[in-house]
Amino acid sequence: MTSIDAAPSRRRYLPAWATRPEIGLVVIIVLMIAIFSVTAPGFLSPFNTFAVARDLAVAIVLGYAMMVVLAVGGMNLAVGSIGVCVAMATAGLQAAGVPAILSVACGVAAGAALGGVNGVLVVRTGLSSFMITLATMSIYFGAMLLLSGAEAIRDLDPGFIYFGRARIAGVLPVMFLVAVVVAIALTYFYRATALGRQTLFTGANPKAAELSGVPVVRTVVLAHALSGLLAGVAAIMLTARTGAGVPSMAGQIGRDWLLPAFIAPVLGGSALAGGSVAIVGTFLGATLVAVLGSGLRMVNIGDFWIELFLGIILAIAVIADRARALWSSGDRGQ
Amino acid sequence: MKRARAIQLLRTGNAGLALILLVAIVALAIANPAFLTSFNLYVVLTSVALWTCVALAQMTTLSTGQMSLSVGSLGGLVAIVVGGLCELWGVPLPLAIAAGLAVGFAGGFLNGILIATTGINSFIITLATFSAFHGLTMGLTRAIPFYHMPASLKALGNARFGAVPLMLGIVLVVALVVDLIFQRTRIGRYMLAYGGNATSAVLSGLSTRKVVIFAHTMSGLLSAIAAILTVGRLQIAQPTIGEDWLIISFAAPIIGGASLTGGYVSVTGTLLALALLAVINDALVLLGVDPFWVQVVLGGLILAVVSVNRLREGRRLGEAIAR
Repeated sequence: MTSIDAAPSRRRYLPAWATRPEIGLVVIIVLMIAIFSVTAPGFLSPFNTFAVARDLAVAIVLGYAMMVVLAVGGMNLAVGSIGVCVAMATAGLQAAGVPAILSVACGVAAGAALGGVNGVLVVRTGLSSFMITLATMSIYFGAMLLLSGAEAIRDLDPGFIYFGRARIAGVLPVMFLVAVVVAIALTYFYRATALGRQTLFTGANPKAAELSGVPVVRTVVLAHALSGLLAGVAAIMLTARTGAGVPSMAGQIGRDWLLPAFIAPVLGGSALAGGSVAIVGTFLGATLVAVLGSGLRMVNIGDFWIELFLGIILAIAVIADRARALWSSGDRGQ
Repeated sequence: MKRARAIQLLRTGNAGLALILLVAIVALAIANPAFLTSFNLYVVLTSVALWTCVALAQMTTLSTGQMSLSVGSLGGLVAIVVGGLCELWGVPLPLAIAAGLAVGFAGGFLNGILIATTGINSFIITLATFSAFHGLTMGLTRAIPFYHMPASLKALGNARFGAVPLMLGIVLVVALVVDLIFQRTRIGRYMLAYGGNATSAVLSGLSTRKVVIFAHTMSGLLSAIAAILTVGRLQIAQPTIGEDWLIISFAAPIIGGASLTGGYVSVTGTLLALALLAVINDALVLLGVDPFWVQVVLGGLILAVVSVNRLREGRRLGEAIAR
């Protein structure tokens, strides 16, 4: 499995911007919207636009939750488990009469803490983050079941539920703004702060980063904590949308969140090997998935088939990306 | 000499695992004599039998330093193919089983050829096929199980000789074959060599394509066997079969000594790990512990074992710090 560097060579056939994954994603998204707006009446209706944008907001934040650990060359299989823990904690606090704002703050902090535990375990044991988060996804989920008794919590703060339904100008969900704010904050973090740049450096080459004085341990723990925090934000948004804290919202041990969490950053061009983040790409990757899902649902292709399509699209996207990397670098690889 | 052998035994870990298993069994038998009843032992051995091929399927991909997230969803697809053929078209059982094995073979082959041809990380490729197989299963069945399975298939899953389920015999034969493949055949050696050091394996003239495709195809076949046995046991072809395989498929081979980076696997270790997990599971039930603890214990056990293995390897902690 030789890795092909993304390093551009001189022998390009197209200008650099044209081979960026973002451009391809935009083209595909626009094409899909065009196709569905013709074939699926009501696809562009204000109601459907609102519904898609609301699902999309959750998917974007979830994609970022994975992207930030991919950036240091790790992964977080526990995003779903952490998400459910945060959702149940937030809902439980609200049911106990804690004000919504405070419950959300506690939930987000809990997400960061659970992610931070992953990070500490990774750096302290030196084991792969795959292994650590595989174990913690089971532990967190089991603990959540023990504490919640596996029962949904429905008596949420009315203001919190309103946040899940609020819209601007009839189409734009307030939750979507949360996703945009997260995207802007992440852009600032990775571009403008020393810690953000050090995080990417760690992902690109941990040895070199350590030798040049980057606090590698801190950046890895931070990336995992950030991942847990964002998984928590996504879960809180989903809870507000659903109007209840549901233990099964991410499936058995949270595995239903794995595909959506990975598909957005991978479609967006984040490398599994680390060292880069595709913030706009992840945003667009999630958008592609949301538009496709909604469109297929509206042309009456059963929900069940959508998973098949997503799988095929993920495969095609990574293979196309591979081919493009080979082609644009004028290198046959191997 | 003696000391060297003891170290060797500890290094492979199977002795330690066997010891822990023995202690667990004795402790549980004392804590609750119901453990030793024939029916309870049958329940424990049945779960070992059901998980064995699941674990071996993942172990096979791990041997090459790769992985397959699609072990479970491919199993689900096989289950509904077998069930659908039997119920909807009245296909004779042997043919339906053959078709199920063929689906497992094809699914694994697809994974292998995609990974070998594109050189893309096995995690990503099998994440895609995990989703595709699961979507196919759910789309074809609309999540409705097939209820009318042939009596012979039900018998296969439920026949027992005292405390020993027939299935256990079947999976032990499969495990023996898998062990022979890794110990005695060239392709088995190649898989481990590729996992141990992909670059030097390439340099020594291995056809990496063939090795990767073989490992994933073998893994697919093992998933299919696991799925068919599960259908026999449940007496229903449920589309949800395989949904809970993910953790156990990694846990058993890893606890049994395999590493994520490949190069070493142990069939015996994997079987011991499964037995230990089954006994712990049974203990939680017999001692009246909240069944939700199962998840916590399983995760904790994985963490404990991989940490111990890590220490035993004696590698400098934090070496792979950013991984």
